[in-house]
Amino acid sequence: MIAYKFLRGDGTGVFTKHPWPLPAGGAPGRWVEAPVVPCRSGIHACRLTDLPLWLGRELYEIELDGEIVEERTKVVASRGRLVRRVDAWDDALRAAYVDDCVERAYALVREAGPALAHWEADVAPQPGEGPAMLGFVAARIAEERDGVDAYHAERARQVAWLAERLGL
Amino acid sequence: MADRRSDQDVTCQEVVELVTDYLERALSPDEAALFEQHLNFCDGCDWYVDQIRMTIAAAGRIEEEDVPAAMRARLLAAFRDRGRS
Amino acid sequence: MTQAELAGRDWSAEADLLARLRTGDEAAFEGLVTRHYATMLAVAQTYVKGRAVAEEVVQETWLAVIQGLDRFEGRASLKTWILSILVNKAKTRGVREARSVPFASLAGEDDAPAVAPERFRGPDDAFPGHWRAYPGNWSAAADVAVGDRETIRAAMGAIAALPPAQQTVIRMRDVEGYSSEEVCAVLDVSEGNQRVLLHRARSRVRATLEEHLDG
Repeated sequence: MIAYKFLRGDGTGVFTKHPWPLPAGGAPGRWVEAPVVPCRSGIHACRLTDLPLWLGRELYEIELDGEIVEERTKVVASRGRLVRRVDAWDDALRAAYVDDCVERAYALVREAGPALAHWEADVAPQPGEGPAMLGFVAARIAEERDGVDAYHAERARQVAWLAERLGL
Repeated sequence: MADRRSDQDVTCQEVVELVTDYLERALSPDEAALFEQHLNFCDGCDWYVDQIRMTIAAAGRIEEEDVPAAMRARLLAAFRDRGRS
Repeated sequence: MTQAELAGRDWSAEADLLARLRTGDEAAFEGLVTRHYATMLAVAQTYVKGRAVAEEVVQETWLAVIQGLDRFEGRASLKTWILSILVNKAKTRGVREARSVPFASLAGEDDAPAVAPERFRGPDDAFPGHWRAYPGNWSAAADVAVGDRETIRAAMGAIAALPPAQQTVIRMRDVEGYSSEEVCAVLDVSEGNQRVLLHRARSRVRATLEEHLDG
């Protein structure tokens, strides 16, 4: 199964900080094995629809194999290897995504009028806040306006935006 | 006043109470995913969880307290006598 | 894994230690006594009143360990066995009887939140429950040395100041590297109870380190 994985800038896992064998010279990285034990072990990856929830610095396409368990917002597998770096996910696209989410957030707040006025101060990105945060803000505002379905609709919109520009 | 809690997120205030459960792998897969999603966008909580990890590491490096001299002597004597009784 | 955890899982080292103890290796014995003294004292003090009585319990425990060395079958780890003897002696000796003040009830010692509520945004805010200001990034700050002696000493002081049950659990888990299963077995508490105590202990120690490091 093909899925996606974000890593830190130094090629290590976001939560585990384990170094991942990276693709090189057009060839995929080595296979990594980790038995699937819920919450304890396994290789974590996300489907296209989960992308906005896990936005990180570096994006890779990952091939999963062995035992594969689909959870609500991610996939856990016993075998995985990084196939290629998704080069389109770069600083410029990250900034464009942030801008788009901020624009969406402002639009949602303005349309809602006084009911969401308390968000005015919080829509502008603070120093250090990146794509993951601003995506969350937009979805959260949508949820506050129109409930959980609106949250998921906003996330789906983010997926479509990302998929188109990343060529996925 | 509307309740502004979201089911799609845990708050930072919840994170600092859930951190031990997370590190002990006692959260359900869904709860752990929410926890990690939050850490993914919230630097403050990411740093807090790291602070807890470093607290654990510091505890693991604590030096032992000295055993009182009289106790040490008594125990060593008893240990020496072990074979002889 | 922390150093403490690694030490706790070294079975071959334990077998070697046991063999050395049985042949009368005094250095090995003395090392063992020193290694566990602070934790044993802390554990004893959750069952008995006063340091002097706790020290007697620790001493009696070691005497029993010496006598029982040949008979020890190794079904539990050596240090779990030693701790179990200690707990039994402490309970027998205790001013508070184990039955009337079960260890688990000491979990009610304090209900303080891990972090002061004022540090989070209030219910009228757009982001209720989120940090008002982020805590420090200890990994990145160049002038913050988490591994240095001062910090470790601060952690030691913070642990020594904890209420008895919290102190016992954090000493066993994080200082000494016992597993949660071992802690629950020795102290006769549930996994959940043990975790609550561990959580409170770690939260308090972190808060002390934060004062120490961030000023």
